[in-house]
Parts: sequence; C-alpha cells; structure tokens
Amino acid sequence: MATENIVAKKETILSSVGGFFKDFFVAVAKGDFFVKLSLIWLGAGYIRRKQFVRTLLITAVEAAIILYSIFFAPQYISKLGTLGTVKMESVFNINTMKYDVNNYDDSFQILLFSVISIVVWVVALFIWMKNVITVYNLQLKAKRGEHINSFFDDLNAMLNEKFHVTLLTLPVLGIVLFSVIPIFVLILVAFTNYDQQHMPPADLFSWVGLSNFINLFGGGSLTITFGYSFTRVLIWTLIWSFFATFTTFFGGVMLALFLRNKRTRLPKLWRALFVVTIAVPQFVTLLLVRNFFANNGIANTLLREIGVLQIFQHFGWIANDYIPFLSAPGWAHVTIILVNIWIGVPYQMLIMTGVLSNLPEDQLESASIDGATKLQMFRHITLPYVLFVTGPSLVTDFVKNINNFNVIYLLTQDVYTTTNQALANSQAKEVDLLVTWLFRLTQDYYNYKMASVIGICVFVLCSVITLVAFGLMTRGDKEGVYN
Amino acid sequence: MNKKQLVKDILRHVVLALLCAFWLIPIVWLVATSFSAYSGRNTSNFFPEQWTFNNYIALFGSDTVANFKSWFMNTFKIACVCCVVSTLFTIMVAYATSFSKFKARKPMMNIAVILNLFPGVLSMISVYFILKALDLTNTHFGLTLVYCASSGLGFLIAKGFFDTVPRSLCEAAKLDGASQARTFFTIIMPLSKPIIVYTIISSFLTPWTDFVFAKMILNSGISDMWTVSIGLYNMLDKSLINSYFSIFCAGGVVVSIPISVLFVIMQKFYVDGITGGAVKG
Repeated sequence: MATENIVAKKETILSSVGGFFKDFFVAVAKGDFFVKLSLIWLGAGYIRRKQFVRTLLITAVEAAIILYSIFFAPQYISKLGTLGTVKMESVFNINTMKYDVNNYDDSFQILLFSVISIVVWVVALFIWMKNVITVYNLQLKAKRGEHINSFFDDLNAMLNEKFHVTLLTLPVLGIVLFSVIPIFVLILVAFTNYDQQHMPPADLFSWVGLSNFINLFGGGSLTITFGYSFTRVLIWTLIWSFFATFTTFFGGVMLALFLRNKRTRLPKLWRALFVVTIAVPQFVTLLLVRNFFANNGIANTLLREIGVLQIFQHFGWIANDYIPFLSAPGWAHVTIILVNIWIGVPYQMLIMTGVLSNLPEDQLESASIDGATKLQMFRHITLPYVLFVTGPSLVTDFVKNINNFNVIYLLTQDVYTTTNQALANSQAKEVDLLVTWLFRLTQDYYNYKMASVIGICVFVLCSVITLVAFGLMTRGDKEGVYN
Repeated sequence: MNKKQLVKDILRHVVLALLCAFWLIPIVWLVATSFSAYSGRNTSNFFPEQWTFNNYIALFGSDTVANFKSWFMNTFKIACVCCVVSTLFTIMVAYATSFSKFKARKPMMNIAVILNLFPGVLSMISVYFILKALDLTNTHFGLTLVYCASSGLGFLIAKGFFDTVPRSLCEAAKLDGASQARTFFTIIMPLSKPIIVYTIISSFLTPWTDFVFAKMILNSGISDMWTVSIGLYNMLDKSLINSYFSIFCAGGVVVSIPISVLFVIMQKFYVDGITGGAVKG
C-alpha cells in the first residue's frame, strides 16, 4: 500500500506526458528506416514485421483522418477566426415557387465542428506518436530475437495485459463526446456574443473577448444589471448550500441517534415511515409541496381556520390574508430551506444509520463509566467519529447543493415573481441559484453567452471549495485514529 | 425512578410520532387527493369531500394531457437501455481503474474528478446543440445517449468497492492461467453483487427521477413522446392545474410504487456495498 502511494505521487500528469515525448524522440532518432517511414505511412513498421492485419487497420485509420482533415474539417476550422461571415438570406424563386436559401454560415456549427476537429487532431497526433514508439519497440524486440505478436496474439492481449484498453474505450469515447467536448464548446461560447439577437442559423455571432465577464463582474454600462444580480444570486447560493448541507446533516444524525437509542420501540417501523418520503420521486413531492404552500393553497386555509393568519395579520407580518410561503422574498427563502430539510433529513438518516452502526462502542462505554454526560459523549466521541467518516461526503454534498437544481426550480418556477427591477432586468430572482438562473437564461431568454460565463463561475466556485476543503481535511491527517 | 423512566419513554415516542406525522402530511395529502372526485386543487379541505377511483382510470385513458400510458412506457424503455449501458460503463471503468495498474491511470482519474465538478445542467446547453446538429433532439435515442454516454464518470463508488476485493484472488486466478477478462467475469463479478445491483438500480432510476434533461431534449410539445416527469409537470401548468391536479396526484402515486420498491432494495445493497459485505482480505 505504501509503495503504491509513492508511485502514485510520482505519476503526475506532467511527468507522464514528458516521458511520452522523450520516448517518441528516442524512437525517431534510433529507429531504422521503417520506423522513420512510419512517420508518414503509419503501417510501415508493422509490414516490416509481417503484421499485416495491424498494417491494414492502422492504414485505414490514417486514411480516415486524412480524408476528414481534407474534406470535412477545413470548411469549419477556416472560419473559426470570424465564426462565419455570410448571413442567411432567402430569395423567393418564381420558377419553383419556393424560397432559395443561400450558402450561409452557421456560427454554432463552425464552433462545434472546429472543437471536434481539434479534438480529432489531438487524438491523431497521439496515435501518430504512439505508433512510432510501438514500431520502435517492435524493432528492438526483433533485434533481441523475441516473439513478435501475431494478430491473434494482439486480440488475446486485449483480454489480458491490455484488458483495461478494451474496458475503457467505449466509456471514454462517451465521456469525450458528451462531457469534454460540450465543456470546451461552453467555455468558448463565454467569449462570444451568442444570444437572442445573434441566433444561428438566421444570424451570426462573433468573438467579443472578455466583455461578458466584464458585464458580469459589475463593469459595462449602467443599464446592465448582471453584476448586481450575480452578487445577489451568489450570496443566496452560498447561504442556501450552507444551510441545506448542515441542517440535513445534523438533522439526519439526530434522527438516526434517536432511532437507534435502545429505549426506542420498533425502530424499524419508524425508520420505514420516514423513508416513505424519499421513496416518492423528488419531482412529485416538490411539485406537490409547492401547491400545498400556494398562496390560496391548503396550508394557508388550515392556518386561517385555526386563527394563525389572523394573528400574523394583526401584528402586520403579512400584508394579505395569506402567508406568501413561496412568493415573497424572505418567506420563500425560509420555506425552501424547510422543505429541503423535509426532503433531505430522511436520506441523511439512512446513511447515518449505516455510519453509526460502526460507532466505537467501547469508547462510549468507558466514557459513560467515567461519568461523562450524554452531551459530552456526543461532542467528543460520536460527532468527531461521524465527521471523520462523512467529512468528504459533506464537501461533495455542499457542492451538490450549489448545483441543486431540482429543489429550487420545481418549488419556485412559475410561482415566484420578483419585484426587484434590477434583478428582473437580468432575468434573475431572489430565490435563484446560479444554476437555475443559468437554466432560465438559456431556456427562456436564449442568452447563451451570459449562461456560459455563469457556468464557468459555478465551476470555479465548486473547484475552489472542493480543493480548499480537501486540502484542510488531508492536512489534519487523522487517518489511522479509527483504524 | 421507574416512573420517571416511563414518562421519558412516553415523551420520546410522542416526539417521534409528531415528527413522523409532520413528515407524512404531504404524502397523505398526495394519496388522499389522488382519490378526490374534485379534479382541481381542493383549497378548502385537507381530505376530499367525495372519494372516487376515476383519477386512476383517467391516467390510462385516451386523454392527451393525461397520456400516462405512453409516458410510462417511454420512461420504462429508456430506463431499460440506460440501465444496461450505464451499468456496463460504470463497472468497466471501475474495474479498469481498480485492477489494472496502467500508466495513464492516475492522470485519467484526476481528469474524471475535475470533469465531475462541472454541473450537468451546464454542459446540457452544448449537449443540446450537439444533439440538434445530429438531429437527435426530440428522440428517445438522444435522451438515452445523454443519460448513458458519460455514465463512466460515476465510477468512484464501484471502484471503492472493487478496491476492497483482495488482490490475492486475482493473482491465484492468474497463476491458474485465467485471462484478465475471465477473472473479471467469473471471480470479481460474483463477488461484487451488492455494488452491481446498486449500480443497476440507480441507473434504472435515473430516467424516472430526472426532470431537467428530459425537459430540455423532449421539448416538442407532443405528449406521446414525453417521459413521466415532464408529463406530470405539464399537468400543473396554470391552464391545466384546475382540471388535472388530482390526476397528477394519482400519477405520482402510481409512479412511486415501482420506484419505492426498487429504492428499498437499492438501499440495502448500497449499505452492503459500502460496508463491504463481500470477502475482506
């Protein structure tokens, strides 16, 4: 285990990339004629070693990449600098009685296919270099008189020492296509003016440099309120994540402790009753609760019947004859956090029940013999233990809550309307998280440029929190205490 | 002494009952309203004045707003495909990163952790455009792709489990001449039942509980195409809520039944998987 850690630390990304380049240059310098020929024709080295199937396969890959680079990529990548210049125009053709559309540029397609082409070329470069290294290794093997793999041997290797290649190919392809490329495209969109006025295919968008970032961080003209909204939304996002994470965490611990107490009868039944609430899908419960707490909903009716509303009105806490649970700032913030406690506590309780079942009982026993009170035992034994086990998941929970789309969106969409003009100008609301604001900007207002900038900010926020938190946790290095 | 203890015990259970009641109010309201004869939101009474079973019948009728049959089948179809592909991807990546000590392992895992920090909602915008460029928006295939394609990133839990499987087992198999692939299928897979079942169920549940992605991709407004979540969401549209609220509740109950069964099974396996119920070294 210890040796593995040392090795792992050495295997940083930089050093492995450096080693790869070194291998490549050694191979080119010391390779024979066929190795050098493989710089141009990738199959050359294999045909020298009579590996015909390999030759065929790698030549096909090479041909495909070359064809792609000649016939497909240039039409997009050549326009990447301007993101297109020819607007879509349609002319009515009297002969065919239809509109003829000119050969226009689609800015988004240019961006997307340029990114794809760049990824393809990076992969091609890797294949090209890797190929030379492999061929050079073959040369060395042949020199030493070792066995050269036949195609059948190669196939066999894919199930043995190279089994990880077989396993990883498809998942990695999926991740590259649906995670990596989208993220690159998104980052690039943040530097363009892609919005409702510049919507392809009817219109073009172009590079604008950092002006979106300047708008978001308070610069720009006075009519743009993104800076103000961003600060407001960011503060609420952080407050929300803090409360959402810690209320459910401590609620879960308390409930779990309560249920596992020896004096609690039928703990399984109680647990099951709480679990019922999480077994119903979140979108159902959230939409339901939103109607439960509507201005003219059942919660207000019941409160009116028992006279609570009248008291509130008497003290002037509410202006109308209902509590605006989800439709006024302040009230809505509290309701959202309470509803989240309702949703989150049973879930945390389940996890905590598992964690607590491994509680160091002997420590607790000796503490109680020494006359420690229950509170002392909780503070000094139970809580440190729980925090140690669930510390990392607390950090990931915090990050997840920053991106907790469902709770906020399903509770407040169509219900909450902001009266704050500055927020409304940038399509934000008091109860928005960064992600719900981003979602609304794209879905309802097609403001992709600002959404991308916010997206990048969310990413930076999440990574900083994660890195700092994990840094603090590993510095304490309490491993081994409970092992 | 004994009396004091008794009072404490009673108090404890009263508190528990109150908490439970608080937690169950919305669920009771959901079930009660699903049997309500009044189709809109009943704002004056908690329990319906008249009870009926019609809402459940309406769910499976021919109304296009309450096209529950199609939604259920759509979601089921997507969930099945998703379940197979995601599970395979997750387990494959987890196995590779746990058992094969290849050179690019550490850098790859670091990249995966960084990618996981990007919120899914975020990359959705460009995923949507990629699907649009491929003409796959408003198709179930496109939605399935979104659910499964990058599922390999969720490998960490399964990897954590695989890490607890003793390496001596693999070495013994290797000495007996088994290939890595064979070791994977005949030795590791059976040992990893809890974590595999967990992965299967959680990937099966994704399409049932997801709302954002479905709403973004299946946005044509043709209710035949929808999944359960957008279908039910649509019933609560301002113009529809007054005639469909109790049907929405019925739909919520129906969709909860299979999900809660699977969820309970999953929880059990999750705890087994996390605490490493398999062989420990």
